[in-house]
Amino acid sequence: MKIDRRIIFVLIAISVAIPLIFKIGLPNKVTKEVKMVYDSIEELEQGEVVLVSFDHEASSLPEIKPMAQAILRHCFSKNLKVVSFALLAEGTAIGDEILRNVANEYDRKYGRDYVFLGFRPQYTAAILGLGEDLHRVFPEDYKGISTSKLNLTKEIKNYEDISLVVSLADGDLPTYWINYAEARYNQRVAIAVTAVMATTYYPYLSSKQITGLVGGLKGAAEYEILINKPGMGSKGMDAQSVAHVVILLLVVLGNVSYFLSGKLRK
Amino acid sequence: MRRQLPIIVCFGFGAFMLIQFFIPKRSFIFAYENVLDWMQIIYVFTLLVGVANYIKINSKKVSDKAKGWGYNLIALLGLFSMVILGFAKGTDQGSPFLWMFNNLQVPMQSTMFSLLAFFVASAAYRGFRARTKEATILLLSAGIVMLGRVPIGEMIHSSVPDLANWILNFPSMAARRGILIGIGLGTISTSLRIILGIERTYLGRE
Amino acid sequence: MDIGILTSALLTLFIFSFLYKDNPFYKFAEHLLVGISVGYFLVIAINTTVLPTLFLPLFKEGNLLYIIPGILGFFMFLRFFPKISWVSRISLALIIGAGAGVSIPAVIEAQIMAQMKASMLKFTSFDGIVVMTALCTTLIYFFFSKKHTGWFGAPAKVGTWFLMVFFGATFGYTVMSRISLLIGRLQFLLGDFLHIID
Repeated sequence: MKIDRRIIFVLIAISVAIPLIFKIGLPNKVTKEVKMVYDSIEELEQGEVVLVSFDHEASSLPEIKPMAQAILRHCFSKNLKVVSFALLAEGTAIGDEILRNVANEYDRKYGRDYVFLGFRPQYTAAILGLGEDLHRVFPEDYKGISTSKLNLTKEIKNYEDISLVVSLADGDLPTYWINYAEARYNQRVAIAVTAVMATTYYPYLSSKQITGLVGGLKGAAEYEILINKPGMGSKGMDAQSVAHVVILLLVVLGNVSYFLSGKLRK
Repeated sequence: MRRQLPIIVCFGFGAFMLIQFFIPKRSFIFAYENVLDWMQIIYVFTLLVGVANYIKINSKKVSDKAKGWGYNLIALLGLFSMVILGFAKGTDQGSPFLWMFNNLQVPMQSTMFSLLAFFVASAAYRGFRARTKEATILLLSAGIVMLGRVPIGEMIHSSVPDLANWILNFPSMAARRGILIGIGLGTISTSLRIILGIERTYLGRE
Repeated sequence: MDIGILTSALLTLFIFSFLYKDNPFYKFAEHLLVGISVGYFLVIAINTTVLPTLFLPLFKEGNLLYIIPGILGFFMFLRFFPKISWVSRISLALIIGAGAGVSIPAVIEAQIMAQMKASMLKFTSFDGIVVMTALCTTLIYFFFSKKHTGWFGAPAKVGTWFLMVFFGATFGYTVMSRISLLIGRLQFLLGDFLHIID
């Protein structure tokens, strides 16, 4: 049975749009890997430093933003200090904005509670450099203020002063964090990646080279449950469920028609 | 000279960065930190060359009035408006540069990738057939994960998310680990070939 | 209505119009996107990388050592001059060589030793046996120096089954990812633009 692809397109659009308009409220469950990221932040003491790296492009914003917001909300609610930067150019403006907005929700002050350092394109050199001297890799922050003058960064020399790295990524940049920060400097690394990249990092989860894994919008929705702050992730879960069922039904339909047409030919 | 010099530089820096890992001496750390800085700076210039090349190609198409040159002009206008706004008005909150980024670049780019949702659905209908044993395993694994990782899976049966979790944490993870180790071995051999000057494709032709 | 939202919505629809067929609206948005992205990159790269990592230490702090990467960086632009374009290879050789050197111990430790160790530790349970079987058969499948026939062919075949499990799971997650992106865009169109949803 041949269906015009445009009919399939309309079907997908409807299957996503309808649950967004008429909410079903399907219950979501927290998985172990997301809880592990939550725990690795939860166990930190007030004032400890978390380094959040925006390692993604603008294309994956609908997945990255809910994850970033949930993790940053958790950090600020626990009074942790956040140092942030981007290893991909587009993550720079996005990271700066998300960080500032979430920090404002908790009345956190720039320079004292959080800092955004900007962009470094050569991942290997940047990650390794942070293991030696943060001020050398980032002499200035994104606004052009010397990192030796900002209250937060002047106290940070290298990974020894950073309790956890969180890489928000849509590609293979967490691998660089694992290879160069975790393996070489024993830096604890947690990752939050787009769903398309999630399966790639399960071996690192099993080997405990990462402290946890948040995967895509679903992962964000789970994290929102853990911090008890429903956000963009939770809002999208009904649509996500319905769209998956529709695609699976299309696959079943395709297979049934394939086998039936095979039998008819015989 | 044209090929020998880069090969010598490659060997020198490659061997040093490999050896310094095992020698935590002050002089080595000093040199190592400098090389990391140099890598960062040179790398950004390589990317800027890409930008310059992009401008060159598009300008040529516009000046030659090649087919579709109007689109190349739009690309150049977009590029230069970002550059002018970025350098003239800054990149801070509320700047026109950031406005362009948030209201033009971000929505267009994420929409471009969201198109794949439609194509993946269409491809799943037309091509995802249980023709062979391997294809059936692929299909079953995909189906279980697709159902098990969204709330509706739990509603169908409580074991669906558990099964999806098991697949992800054990068989799928182990297969990926096999790929990872393979990539690791490949990376080591390629890196050694580069340092020793056996692998020279990065030098280009001539 | 906010001009930003209107612009975003219009450009979003231009790109969605590709679903019907390729058309001038889509082409316009496509080229505009690439142009803006390159312009954005140029500004960010110069402002946040070239200025603080090269110009600041070299011109403000007078650290003359930075002349070397400055010159090597400049060499990259010689690619535009065919007669001397070979000079840029020196800069490339430095990055590639240093990157290769630094990657060897990191990959051995993080990608090989740590992964092997993690597989051994759980060898006693059923799940551990599944992991070990999948790992060994997958590695056998990727061993192309010997033909996949006879006694060597069977585990290689099993390896392909495990690989299919991985690819299937990845496909499932890919669908998930793409749908999430679509949800994001429709949330914008139905919410910020049309105000149908919160």
